[in-house]
Amino acid sequence: MADFEQATDEEVLLIDDELWEQLIELTDGAAALCFQCGVCTAICPWGLVRQKPLSVRTLMRQAQLGLQEKNGSLWLCTTCAQCEAYCPRGVNIVDVFRSLRTVAWENRNPEKGLPSLMWSIFWNDNPWSQPPTQRALWANNLDIPIFNPQEHEVMLYIGCTSSYDQRAQKIASALVHILRGAGVEFGFLGEEEPCCGEAVLSVGHKHYFEEVAAKTAQVFQERGVTQMVTISPHCYDVFRNHYPPFSNGFQPLHYTQYLFNLISEGRLQFMKPLDLQVTFQDPCYLGRINQEYQAPREILKSIPGVELVEMENSAEDALCCGGGGGRMWLETPIGERFSDLRVEQAVQTGADILAAACPFCVACLEDSLKVRKTENFEVRDIAEIAARAL
Amino acid sequence: MAELQIVVCVKVVPKPEEIRVDPETHLLERTNARSEINPPDMNAMEMALSMKDRYGGRISLLSMGPPFFEPNLRVALAMGADHIYLLSDPAFAGADTLATTYTLVQGIRKIGDVDVILCGEESSDGATGQVPPGLAEWLNIPQLTLLTDVSIDQTLRTARGRREIKGGYEILEVPLPCVISVKTACNEPRFMDYRLRSWALEKDRLTVWDAGDLDAEPGHIGLTGSPTIVTGLAEAPYRERRREFLQGSPGEVVQELAGILRKEVEV
Ligand SMILES: Cc1cc2nc3c(=O)[nH]c(=O)nc-3n(C[C@H](O)[C@H](O)[C@H](O)COP(=O)(O)OP(=O)(O)OC[C@H]3O[C@@H](n4cnc5c(N)ncnc54)[C@H](O)[C@@H]3O)c2cc1C
Ligand code: SF4
Ligand code: SF4
Repeated sequence: MADFEQATDEEVLLIDDELWEQLIELTDGAAALCFQCGVCTAICPWGLVRQKPLSVRTLMRQAQLGLQEKNGSLWLCTTCAQCEAYCPRGVNIVDVFRSLRTVAWENRNPEKGLPSLMWSIFWNDNPWSQPPTQRALWANNLDIPIFNPQEHEVMLYIGCTSSYDQRAQKIASALVHILRGAGVEFGFLGEEEPCCGEAVLSVGHKHYFEEVAAKTAQVFQERGVTQMVTISPHCYDVFRNHYPPFSNGFQPLHYTQYLFNLISEGRLQFMKPLDLQVTFQDPCYLGRINQEYQAPREILKSIPGVELVEMENSAEDALCCGGGGGRMWLETPIGERFSDLRVEQAVQTGADILAAACPFCVACLEDSLKVRKTENFEVRDIAEIAARAL
Repeated sequence: MAELQIVVCVKVVPKPEEIRVDPETHLLERTNARSEINPPDMNAMEMALSMKDRYGGRISLLSMGPPFFEPNLRVALAMGADHIYLLSDPAFAGADTLATTYTLVQGIRKIGDVDVILCGEESSDGATGQVPPGLAEWLNIPQLTLLTDVSIDQTLRTARGRREIKGGYEILEVPLPCVISVKTACNEPRFMDYRLRSWALEKDRLTVWDAGDLDAEPGHIGLTGSPTIVTGLAEAPYRERRREFLQGSPGEVVQELAGILRKEVEV
């Protein structure tokens, strides 16, 4: 035994049958398909910013065997699904990550800072530790009516980040102007808008997510919400793909999809030419995860004078901004931010604007742009660009 | 060795930004305010739970307040405590810190054989910080205030705590039983354990005691037992956070911040 311990500097890991069964149940056996080729590790963007990549393959192996992950790399995954796009076995890697996180919560081993994130959502109904009574302050001067199913065609779901983050509030305001420009009758839930729970889901707190989703779905039902437009692709994804067990038939759309529909129906037209070259950051939760690549591009193309240029990695291959999977609430050291690489790629295209369609992307990319100090180059949400062209 | 008996005093408070002072009566208007667990008590909870992790034992939650405290006390219970004692009686209303501590102490005596009583640093509404010392006085036992860490020696029956002071820290040791107040934000309170969530909602997890149950002297409780006279109440303007984040290199951030300070507060 002593010799064995000397022979290895790695911690001895014990196989835990109970954990194995739990993982099989949580993931529906997703990890079982993995044949350990390592493509995921090679594809994962952490390999671009760190000496030691995130060993996705090892984590899949641990999930297969029911081993507990001990080094914290579990919380690095941004759930961008880049690896899934390349996995030859079609392993639902993001699901496995979320399940491993669920187990970590149950073993009282979450990453530092995440319990506070859960408490913020519990007490404040938002992940930003902001007072719930101030959720609609951003809209004070906009006179947005409270949603009424008799009067409004859609309910605009603002989301926590666009409600509280000063930068993201501008995206929300821009969208309000566009919808008004197109004559859309819409309302919002104001101060009463509940949190979608995406942050809870992505850090793997399955049981609390179920509680949040049930509560939020009930609010939507009581308010008669059937058509909903979200600003963040994260809210959109969670409503579309993770609410069905709790919700009774409301249909979410990302705002780019909704605007594209308005354009197709001839209700929305952009009159003012902009004379801009724009490149587009596909948000993971719009593109890879929900397969919507067209709508945001069509909006940009329908603006007179806008020329769309693509980056080195785009659409299915788009590089994640680094903000998903709960990473918005965890510190990523300078030098390890995917968004630095993304801004570099964007600048290389020669475009004037890097367009995004997600408050997290805008926040991460803009941060990186500030550090890079590039002149005559901006990060803007598509809603902001479109509002300029009305 | 008997198992460690821990009591955590938990107060349920209105969310601070939602309390208003009635302009006519000058009384606190909190009927529409959402409640939460007094945030410093969450740090006391975490300290109690890590004690239980280390030494085993039983955690009782103790609170004096109206019945509407109950749902939030059950939230605290689901973090990993064992039972709730809610001291609730219209006769307790209007208590100052003297009457509050007397009532809590009657509860502690009734629970019996308590080794450690943990409190938050102060409440976010009353904010006197007098309850922990008051409990120690009534019980005539030692107190350790504003601790950031604590260890228990069950053989010697002592508590040893660490307290940050200007320029360093001090280590303090007292015999059990003792009262401990926990420095706010010294730890990260764990989230509820969802395996306990529905267990914590069961009826039997909570015991309500009224003045009669506590054998409380009528002259020591509620308004009658409260010599404090509140002569006035003024509303401090609520400060809205602007949530402006400065960006750039540390040098740039400092310059920008200095500029803002110069402009806005004329330093
Ligand atoms: C609306 C309102 C009206 C008041 N009116 C009066 C009044 O008329 N006269 C007067 O003298 N005082 C009054 N007070 C103050 C009241 O006496 C105190 O709130 C109470 O005694 C507790 O003191 P504290 O809040 O300062 O607690 P602190 O000493 O600041 O709290 C420290 C810790 O003690 C524990 N603790 C405190 N209170 C409780 C509790 N009820 N149950 C369990 N644990 C607790 C908690 O762990 C807390 O973190 C009023 C307070 C409020 C909010
Ligand atoms: S790419 Fe797929 S099969 Fe290959 S190691 Fe990763 S999860 Fe397993
Ligand atoms: S989802 Fe993205 S961050 Fe997570 S392992 Fe896959 S490629 Fe890496």
